[in-house]
Amino acid sequence: MPKCTINGHEVEVKEGATIMEAFYKLNEGIAHYCYHPGLSVAGVCRLCIVDIEGNPRPQIACNTVVTEGMKVTNQAEKIKDGVKWVLDFHLINHPLDCPVCDQAGECGLQDQYMQFGKYSSEMAEPKVKKHKVVDLGPTVVLDSERCILCSRCVRFTDEVSKTNELGLFNRGDRTEVGTFDGKPLDNNYSLNTVDICPVGALTSKDFRFRQRVWYLKDSETLCTGCSTGCNVKVYYNKEGAFRVKPVYNEKVNGHWMCDEGRGIYKFVNREHRLLKGRMKQKGQSTWTDMDAGALAKEAYQVIKSAGEKLAIILTGQYSTHEYQILLKNLPTKNVFHWQNQAEKWNEFDGLLLRGDRNPNTKGVELAMNASGIKTDWNDLISGIKSGAIQTVFVAGPENMAVYEDMKEKIQSLGSVQNIIWTTACKSEDFEKLTNNVWLVPMKSYLEKEGSFINNQGLEQKFKKATTIVSEALTLAEASYLVSGQNIPIIKMEAVDTFIDASRRPDQVTLEHRKKNEFVYKRGSL
Amino acid sequence: MSEVKYLTEFYHLNEFQGLEGYKKNGGYVQLERAFKMKPEEITEEVKKSGLRGRGGAGFATGVKWGFLPKNGEPRYLLCNADEGEPGTFKDRMMMERAPHQLIEGMIISAYAIGAKKSYIYIRGEYDYPIACVVKAIKEAYAAGLLGKNILGSGFDHEMDVYAGAGAYICGEETGMISSLEGLKGQPKLKPPFPAIQGYLKKPTIVNNVETLAAVKYIIRDGAQGFRKYGTEKSAGSKLFSLSGNIVKPGNYEVPLGYSLKDMIFNLGGGMKPGRKLKAVIPGGSSAPVLNAEEVDRATLDYECLASMGTMLGSGAIIVIDDSQCMVDMLGVLTHFYHHESCGQCTPCREGTGWLNKIVHSILEGRGRLQDIDLLLKVADNMKGRTICALSDAAALPVLSFVSKFRDEFEFFVREGRSKVKGTNYAQMHH
Repeated sequence: MPKCTINGHEVEVKEGATIMEAFYKLNEGIAHYCYHPGLSVAGVCRLCIVDIEGNPRPQIACNTVVTEGMKVTNQAEKIKDGVKWVLDFHLINHPLDCPVCDQAGECGLQDQYMQFGKYSSEMAEPKVKKHKVVDLGPTVVLDSERCILCSRCVRFTDEVSKTNELGLFNRGDRTEVGTFDGKPLDNNYSLNTVDICPVGALTSKDFRFRQRVWYLKDSETLCTGCSTGCNVKVYYNKEGAFRVKPVYNEKVNGHWMCDEGRGIYKFVNREHRLLKGRMKQKGQSTWTDMDAGALAKEAYQVIKSAGEKLAIILTGQYSTHEYQILLKNLPTKNVFHWQNQAEKWNEFDGLLLRGDRNPNTKGVELAMNASGIKTDWNDLISGIKSGAIQTVFVAGPENMAVYEDMKEKIQSLGSVQNIIWTTACKSEDFEKLTNNVWLVPMKSYLEKEGSFINNQGLEQKFKKATTIVSEALTLAEASYLVSGQNIPIIKMEAVDTFIDASRRPDQVTLEHRKKNEFVYKRGSL
Repeated sequence: MSEVKYLTEFYHLNEFQGLEGYKKNGGYVQLERAFKMKPEEITEEVKKSGLRGRGGAGFATGVKWGFLPKNGEPRYLLCNADEGEPGTFKDRMMMERAPHQLIEGMIISAYAIGAKKSYIYIRGEYDYPIACVVKAIKEAYAAGLLGKNILGSGFDHEMDVYAGAGAYICGEETGMISSLEGLKGQPKLKPPFPAIQGYLKKPTIVNNVETLAAVKYIIRDGAQGFRKYGTEKSAGSKLFSLSGNIVKPGNYEVPLGYSLKDMIFNLGGGMKPGRKLKAVIPGGSSAPVLNAEEVDRATLDYECLASMGTMLGSGAIIVIDDSQCMVDMLGVLTHFYHHESCGQCTPCREGTGWLNKIVHSILEGRGRLQDIDLLLKVADNMKGRTICALSDAAALPVLSFVSKFRDEFEFFVREGRSKVKGTNYAQMHH
């Protein structure tokens, strides 16, 4: 474990660690673009130059291994001046179109210019013209003029997604990122290239021109797209959520997430949501809108009268805590696990995405085992047929896009008398229910706190980010109401987030933002 | 002291090109002698000889070989025949006139470092030298000088030619390795150095044509015999490519330490009638220029030229007389480096383009006086900041041209025309 001194502070690093890693460990500011902890070292931006005592030439921090007793600084005047110049080299052909650039506000070039930059450029020559609005594939658009050729995206497709779609074409200051003839950037991890792009060269088709980033708040939460449970940051404002980006967690997702998971913010927005409780009687074709709480209380009468003929259907889309409360409030042994495409559950794409598209399948199993319940879906079907089951409480899926068997399951519930279905989203499929139906609006994962247990059995907590449908209930709240109780007032306690020691040092804290302090790294870096 | 015929002893004989003629004039005798030595002995002998790389950097060859890991890991020998440095044309002659001399030197070197495979990476434009070397390799295979168990020594060696596609950067050793691997010709980040991890991530030695050819003579004459020519720190003789405004341009072999002035005025036949010497680029276009006063003092060896702030480089001496406009010449050089920068490292990618634009602004009459200082600042900040030396190579001529011939630049900015030629850029080029 060699020790070195960085800007006068001593630090001990792992054997073989680079000076850059020592800077990261100390949380000392160092300019860099091409270095990314999740990728190989390219050493091309030349911004991370440091002065090493006894070495006449400045060295780059990202490719220099720390040796015992090394004395490193990036505060020397000649280094600061060198960094200014390298930044100016980055900027001389950059279009400086920040007012219309999506990256503005979270741009590495802006941030680092403010901290390390040279404040007046001497470039008086015409800039190099390159291609704008290059369609790289179904998800990503490239603006070559903004590109600073750090090669992060190229290395990503080489080393992480291993799909090799991107390359650097041409030479010198005519170099451009591009795809080879007829092979677009089309893989399930393509949007990570947008995240790691330090400038606005790569933009997401889904997000570009929709919001200025300074009008968005962000909150750390979990991806509910599959059972991997990637740690993510959701960006939202009062209009709803706008995008999802990965957050580093060594144990779960590293630096990345899949494109499929980035779509999960969509169903939480108001236009997809069930805003009011709805009910309809058998044979009627019109729905009656009701307040969520009142509707749940009404459903209590049905559940009470059902007695032993009640069954509960659970999906792996709620938090562990909610299942426990539900099973406590509605004590029945007729609990069934709705497994959507269980035959695909063991599939894995080798990187992050798993075949089990529920965030908390392990949580359902845990709650059912704890209550000593062992049931088979066929028992439910035969129970319904024989009339042993009259009333069904369905903890319905939040993200219905991954429940391809919705219609089929609704059909199989055909002859049940009463269905109480909790759901966050509206769906055409509910029209097909011919029973007495109560639809209880649910909160989405962004609007509540709890925990999911991922595929590897790791329990991860998440906290509430925002409120989108204010009167929606959580499954726990609904279970109190449908069992005739009142919702207990829970004393709010500080929730630990899942991000702790493994958190990267470059996240901007709220305190910093409030103080409007300059923070040297954020967002994409 | 005058021209010597050491490496070039038989270059006047046409038969020296072929295997038979080469053997008649002492060819492949040294290979047999080398096989009787231990590989370490050869490396030691090369170290003692003081042979330094003839491609440009002038790094001690034996020391470079010594960096190879001492295990049995497979390794490669690459011959750098890309010869891209503007003004250099000595390797071309060596490959045309004496391809077997190179092959023999390479087999000896490969034996010394334990390489079972070698490649000769030849500049793509060199059609004829490629043909010569390919033919010679075929002859060598046919004669059992390459392949399995060469001359009964138990040493196996395969040799191949690889033609480049016309990139200056592929003359940089790691750029050449990338190109040889089938990748885009871009230099690799060091460390690891090629001797540890080079071609196909295996230990690799890259040497210039002239360096490898000289190994044969170290075996023939021994380290001390090789040191007959040259100085203490610059041993041996070297080929120089003399070009520019001179009466007799061409390749000349002289001992290192030879006077630059003699080179120009004796061997090169001096300036054209009525012309005066103005400047000399002593080591290929990347080397800082010397003015006439400095040329008087310069000797052609690594240490003297280094002390004058320039370098011996590849040995391309470009002579400039008083009819040349330095601003115009710099425009040619900045254009070249802008065109050839691989585009990996920011200071070089952006800097070469910037320098070129500034110089052309001046040439086209749009220059500002502050542009002259800006050239110096930009060039200064490109130096020593990149993966390979191309950035330095682009910056050094700018620094030396501007600082030594500043009056010409200032005149051009003020008058919009050349101080020497009296005409503007458009008139100069039509």
